[in-house]
Amino acid sequence: MYPEEQLERAVILLNGKLLGIVLGFLFGAGLFLATNFLVLKGGPHVGAHLGLLGQFFPGYRVSFWGSIVGFFYMFAVGLIMGVVLGMVYNKVARA
Amino acid sequence: MSLVSEIRIAGTSDRVQPLQDMDQSRVLLRTFAPLHRVAMGIAAGVVMSGLLAIITIVLLLRRTDEAITAGSLLGQFLWGYSVSVAGILIGLVWGFVVGFVMGYGFALARNAALWLWLTLIRSRAEMEQYSDFLDHL
Repeated sequence: MYPEEQLERAVILLNGKLLGIVLGFLFGAGLFLATNFLVLKGGPHVGAHLGLLGQFFPGYRVSFWGSIVGFFYMFAVGLIMGVVLGMVYNKVARA
Repeated sequence: MSLVSEIRIAGTSDRVQPLQDMDQSRVLLRTFAPLHRVAMGIAAGVVMSGLLAIITIVLLLRRTDEAITAGSLLGQFLWGYSVSVAGILIGLVWGFVVGFVMGYGFALARNAALWLWLTLIRSRAEMEQYSDFLDHL
């Protein structure tokens, strides 16, 4: 088969674990930065909406300590999402 | 280590292991092979629907004012969704639809960008190849 033909029919399969780690860091860093941005911004009701995440993540608050706790929670969420995404994608792409 | 674990060629049993056999055609395949759009859509749909179902179950179990507020905010975007048992099923459907559109769209955009890049490289290479065409006449 010629390289062009191969390229037309080729499909990438994903590395689920690595995708999970990447998503985990992105999500974790996203929440870490968002929380600290609101903390630094200050105001009468600091992060009223972001604080609702505390409903899902026990211990999370819009504070510096909360941003660290949130990082680990979101890392775990991203990791699971990435692993599941990679697993399902590879199964369907192989079918 | 790469996000791409291997490359499958449809209709054949050929598999390209990215970190082995790095001859030129395999390197090209690894670089330019497209994402499977439907697979990405289904995978993102499954993840999103699962996420939305877990969110609804957590909110249902908590049943505090804040939890209901958080759930009702989702209902602003997802028609028919509420923090209830029926909301879990509606959330599953909405999650799959939203996830599928996002995943399919991502794969489509990524493949289109890659195709544009490949076309650009190819046309540049062709122009370079034929740049001295008139010199031979």
